[in-house]
Amino acid sequence: MTGARDAAEIVIEAQDLRKRYINIQAVDGVSFQVQRGEILGMLGPNGAGKTTTVEMLEGLRKPDSGQALVLGIDAARQPERLKQRIGVQLQSAALYPNLTVRELIDLFGAFYSRRRPTAELIEALDLGERRDAQTKVLSGGQRQRLSVALALVNEPELIFLDEPTTGMDPQARRSLWDLVTSLRERGTTVLLTTHYMEEAEHLCDRVAIMDHGRILELGTVKELVERRFQELSVRFDAVPGLDDQHLRALPGVSRVMHEDGEVALYTQTVAETIGGLLAATRDLGQEPGNLAVRRATLEDVFLELTGRALRD
Amino acid sequence: MGALIALTVANIRSFIRDRAAIFWTLAFPILFVVLFGSIFSGNGPDSFQVGWVDRDGTPAAGGLRQAFAGVGLFELTDGEQEASLQQMRDGDLDAVIVVPAGLGEAIASGVSSGEPIALAVYTDPSQQSQSTTIQQVVGQVVSTTNQTLSGRPPLLGVDIQALQTSDIGAAAYFVPSILGMALMQLGIFAAIPLVEQREKSILKRLGATPLRRWTLVGSNIVMRLLIALVQSVLIIGIGAVLFDVTIVGSLLLVAGFIILGSVTFISIGYVIASFAKTEESANALTSIVQFPLMFLSGIFFPIEFMPDFLRPVATLLPLTYLGDALRQVMVGGAPFAPLAVDALVLGGWLVGSFLISARFFRWQ
Repeated sequence: MTGARDAAEIVIEAQDLRKRYINIQAVDGVSFQVQRGEILGMLGPNGAGKTTTVEMLEGLRKPDSGQALVLGIDAARQPERLKQRIGVQLQSAALYPNLTVRELIDLFGAFYSRRRPTAELIEALDLGERRDAQTKVLSGGQRQRLSVALALVNEPELIFLDEPTTGMDPQARRSLWDLVTSLRERGTTVLLTTHYMEEAEHLCDRVAIMDHGRILELGTVKELVERRFQELSVRFDAVPGLDDQHLRALPGVSRVMHEDGEVALYTQTVAETIGGLLAATRDLGQEPGNLAVRRATLEDVFLELTGRALRD
Repeated sequence: MGALIALTVANIRSFIRDRAAIFWTLAFPILFVVLFGSIFSGNGPDSFQVGWVDRDGTPAAGGLRQAFAGVGLFELTDGEQEASLQQMRDGDLDAVIVVPAGLGEAIASGVSSGEPIALAVYTDPSQQSQSTTIQQVVGQVVSTTNQTLSGRPPLLGVDIQALQTSDIGAAAYFVPSILGMALMQLGIFAAIPLVEQREKSILKRLGATPLRRWTLVGSNIVMRLLIALVQSVLIIGIGAVLFDVTIVGSLLLVAGFIILGSVTFISIGYVIASFAKTEESANALTSIVQFPLMFLSGIFFPIEFMPDFLRPVATLLPLTYLGDALRQVMVGGAPFAPLAVDALVLGGWLVGSFLISARFFRWQ
C-alpha cells in the first residue's frame, strides 16, 4: 500500500482539450484530473468524444488546443516517453490473426524496456488453455482478455481500457473486474470507457458522463445520482385515462417521466404518493400494473443527461 | 533492435502461416519456372547453324570446310564476316567460324612460323551446353586436321570469341525473368498485409506502443528481403538442377539487383497501400499493377517481339529493367539497356515510390 502522499498525486490532467475533425467538433473543451490509484470510468453514447479524448491522453492524437499532462508528460510533445509507461487497450484493434497468444504477448513485450513475464500475464488473464492458439480462433471474450494482457505487458503505471468487457460472459466480466481492482491495489491508475452501468457502478471510483464532446457530469456514482435525483421513483405501467396532469397532482410528486409505456413518478414521500396513485386508479376502476419503487440509478442519470439509454 | 527482430520474426511467422501468401510468392513462380522451362526447352536441336567465313579462299580452306561439314552436327552457311556475325546476334546462327587469310599458303609451305594459325570461333557463352558442344566439335576437327597435316608444331589453332546472341535458351531466358516477376510480386504484395493491419487497427495498436515507425517499416523490408532470398535460391536452384541454367555473371551483381529490385517493388507496394482504403481494394489494386507488369515487361517473351505500340509502355515499367538486369548478370542475356541504366531506372522508381508513400501513406 502506498501512502496518502501518493494518493493525492495527479496522474492525468486534461486541460481544455479540443479536437475538431472536418465537420465535427469531436472534443469541445474537456478538463478533468485523475489521481494515482483511481479508477475513472467514462460513459457516453457513441460519438460522444470518449475515444478521441482517450486517444489524446494516450499520445495517439494531438489536440487542436489544450494540454494533456499524463504522468507529468505532455502527451502531445513526448508521446514516445509516455507510451513506455502506459498500457493501452483499444476497443477496435484486432491482433495479428496468425500469431498465437504467447507469441503476441512476447512480441508486445519486446517493445518495452520494462516487462512482465508472459507466463504471468497468461495466468492473470486466464488464457492458459489457449496459450498456443492463433488469435484468429479465439472467442470474443478470449480476444478481449488477450488485448487486456497486451495492455499490461509493460507493468504500466496507468492503463487505458476501452470497453474492456464488451463481448465477455458475466463470469469473465467478473474476473476482469477483480483483475482491475487488484491493479488498483498495486497503485495502477485506470481510465476505462464502458457501456455497462453495472461495470461503472461496481468498478469505478468516479464516473465522467460525456456527450457532444463535453463532460456533462463528473463524480462518484452516488454523487451523480444524488445530484439529480433526491427522490425515489414509483414506477408502473401506464394507466389509460390517467394523464400527466392528474399524476403531477398526486401527493409528493415532483416530476413525471415516461419510458416505453412505463410511468415514473419522482417523489420524496413514497407512501403518500402510492396511496394517492392507488386511490386515483381505483376511481377509474383500474389498478397500476407492475407497481415498483426504485432508487434512481446511474442509468437514470445517463438517460436524463443524454436523452439516450446507456446501451445504445 | 530487439523490437526490430521480434517484429520481423512475427512477420515471418504470420507470412508462413498464410497459405495464400506462400502460394503467390513461392509456389507460383516455381510453378512458372518448371512449366515454362519444360515447355520451351524441349529437346535440343540435332544440329547447329554455323556461319562459315572464308577469308583465305584457297582449296585448303575448302578442305577444312568439308571436314566441318562432314561431322554432320554443323549446318554451314557461307557469308561475309560482318554479315554472319550480325546473323548470329539476331539469333539466326548459333556460331560463326572465321578462316583467316594465309591458311592455304601456310599449309602449302608446310612451315609454321611457330604460332599456329587460329580459326576464330564465335560462340554464345550464355548458352552453355550449346557453346561447349560447338567448341568441342571444333577442337576435334582442328586436331584431326593437324594430325593429317602432321606438321610438328600444330598448324591450326582455335581462338574462341564470345558473342552475345539475342537467342539465349528458353530456360535461360525464363529463369531470371521469372525471378524478377517473383520479386515484383513479393514487393507489391507488401500492400495487402499493410492495408489489412491498418483496417483492423493493428497499426493503430502498434502506434500506442513505443515502437517507432521506422522499425515497423524496417521489419517489413527485412522480412521481404529474407523471403526474396528464399525465392531466389529456390528459383535459381531449380533453374540449375532442371534446366542447366547457371549464373555466368558476378554473384555480387546478381545479389545487388535482387535487393534493389525487391526494395523498389516493396516501395511500390507501399504506394498501393497509400491509396487502397480496404483490403479488397488493395487486392484489386495489386492485380491491376501486377498483370501489366507481368505481361508488358518482357518476362515471357523479349520486348522486341511486342507490337510497336506497346514498346513505349515496356520502356517505362520497372520490371522491364529488373528482368533485363537479371538476365544480363545471371545468364549473359542480350541487354535491353546497359546495366547502369537498369540500376538507374529501378533507383528512380524506388525514390519516386518512396516519396509518394511518404507523402500519402496513412497509419490509421
